[in-house]
Amino acid sequence: MVELPTPAKWALRLIAVAYVFLLVGWPMITLVQNAFADGLASFQAAFSDPDVVHAMIVTIEISLWAVAINTVFGVGMALLLVRYEFPGKRALSALIDLPMSVSPVVIGLALLLVYNGRTGWFGPTLEAHGIQVIFNSPGMIMATCFVALPLVVREVVPVLTEIGDDQEQAATSLGANAFQTLRRITLPAIKWAVVYGVVLTLARSLGEFGALKIVSGNLTGQTQTAPLVVEQKYNNFAQGEAYAVSFILVLISVLCIVVVSLLRPKESSS
Amino acid sequence: MSIDISHVNKRFGDFVALDDVNVSLPTGQLTALLGPSGGGKSTLLRIIAGLERADTGTITIEGVDATRTAPQKRNVGFVFQHYAVFKHMTVAKNVAFGLEIRNRPKAEIADRVDELLKLVHLSQFAHRLPSQLSGGQRQRMALARALAIQPKVLLLDEPFGALDAKVRKELREWLRRLHDEVPVTTVFVTHDQEEALEVADEIVVINEGRIEQVGTPDQLYDEPANDFVMDFLGEVTQLGTVRLRPHDIEIALNPDLAGSTAADILRLTRVGFEVRLVAGTEDGQEVSVVTTRTHARALGLEEGMRVWITPTSGATAVPAMKSLLSPAS
Repeated sequence: MVELPTPAKWALRLIAVAYVFLLVGWPMITLVQNAFADGLASFQAAFSDPDVVHAMIVTIEISLWAVAINTVFGVGMALLLVRYEFPGKRALSALIDLPMSVSPVVIGLALLLVYNGRTGWFGPTLEAHGIQVIFNSPGMIMATCFVALPLVVREVVPVLTEIGDDQEQAATSLGANAFQTLRRITLPAIKWAVVYGVVLTLARSLGEFGALKIVSGNLTGQTQTAPLVVEQKYNNFAQGEAYAVSFILVLISVLCIVVVSLLRPKESSS
Repeated sequence: MSIDISHVNKRFGDFVALDDVNVSLPTGQLTALLGPSGGGKSTLLRIIAGLERADTGTITIEGVDATRTAPQKRNVGFVFQHYAVFKHMTVAKNVAFGLEIRNRPKAEIADRVDELLKLVHLSQFAHRLPSQLSGGQRQRMALARALAIQPKVLLLDEPFGALDAKVRKELREWLRRLHDEVPVTTVFVTHDQEEALEVADEIVVINEGRIEQVGTPDQLYDEPANDFVMDFLGEVTQLGTVRLRPHDIEIALNPDLAGSTAADILRLTRVGFEVRLVAGTEDGQEVSVVTTRTHARALGLEEGMRVWITPTSGATAVPAMKSLLSPAS
């Protein structure tokens, strides 16, 4: 490490703090101030509206589904990418990162093209079997899974690479089959990476807006989610309620991060 | 014979790791697979364990064809160079792993773990995590873990390679004693000829995917089948037309011995109890000679001195000319 002179050190720290404060801190503080501007009145107003309560429930349901699905597939995909060699591996790896670089609105439109009930590529077939994807929870879960796809994979891949397959081979030589090795050796070793991936996926899923706006159809009281309610309330001059719902969304995300950081040190010191 | 390997071939892409290997490893013995890095010895060990699959050929363990048996069904204990400890489990849990997989009764597992930890002198560490152990202790734990399943054969892949010199020496003496106590058929891979000579009952020398020689440490050292084995088992120097070990050259101040060659001491180095010197003959040949410090002092050896050097009677020697080499190489 290069030792910097003290004034330069302080200047750099100041710049970093100011940057984060202006970009993240101040806007967040203002949001909280606005949410509580009339005490709890905005919260009461928001949560006495059954559509808002319904939207919160829909958001949580969709997010939990997306987290569950992405955790299973994310861990599976990470194992596939790290432990196996197969043709097209690099293409698969690139494809997993795609949601990071594509706008969620585009993802919503793409899903619409494939799964809509009238003109979609696959949608009419599914609807003939009684499965409505678009403007319904399956499509919303799919869209959320899509945007949050890389989060678990990218947390788990480096950890799997780092621990190597020595422990797995040792377990195999001691008589463990593939499932026992996964459950007793691999999963405990990547536990914290999975937890981080889950928290990030949850936070991302709770906040998803663009893809869901298109895929859900934004039907108030039916498929409308919390972020969509925020927009609607804001546009309808119910800013107080919009801030209140926003605050709840931020609170859940912050709580997730706090819970993980409280759990983590216990693990490393034991 | 405990492990029979016949006509085993293995390639990684274009690289030939094993080229038609045939060898039988004896029951109850401690066998070393010795050879340079990349020579195929680890690959052979992993094929015996089932962690790697041979392209062609068969592996028979205790009379049962194991060529297509899954690794978890072979009942083979495997110890890895970098220990492969289960980091999230205590020492006792690590050792118990194989038994828990086999659904043995809890009381039996506890007894067996106690017994094994005693055997590897880790009883007081039973409830620690592996991260709190030293490298040598981790490797002993890995050995106890492999022995817990009462394997038909115990395979060790460069077991002491990641340890420092002193611990390594201690552990290999300990392994020798352990094997005398628990005489399970053991095969270990090493590139350290000293380790192989000191520990093994039998040594299999492997180079470039082929077996160069199989024999006891004495056979290999005294009667190397070819140049490679001679070179690999210890230092070699050339005197006249023969290749021999530097410590098999006698050094004298007068040409009393028949066949002695005159030479001048060019360089002289003292390493602990021995003295290594390079003597230049009149033909311009540089010959390495190793002698004891006591002997060097008795003769008063110094750089620049004229001495007479002679191969000791009974020295292991092979002719230096390539064309004279045995057909085995």
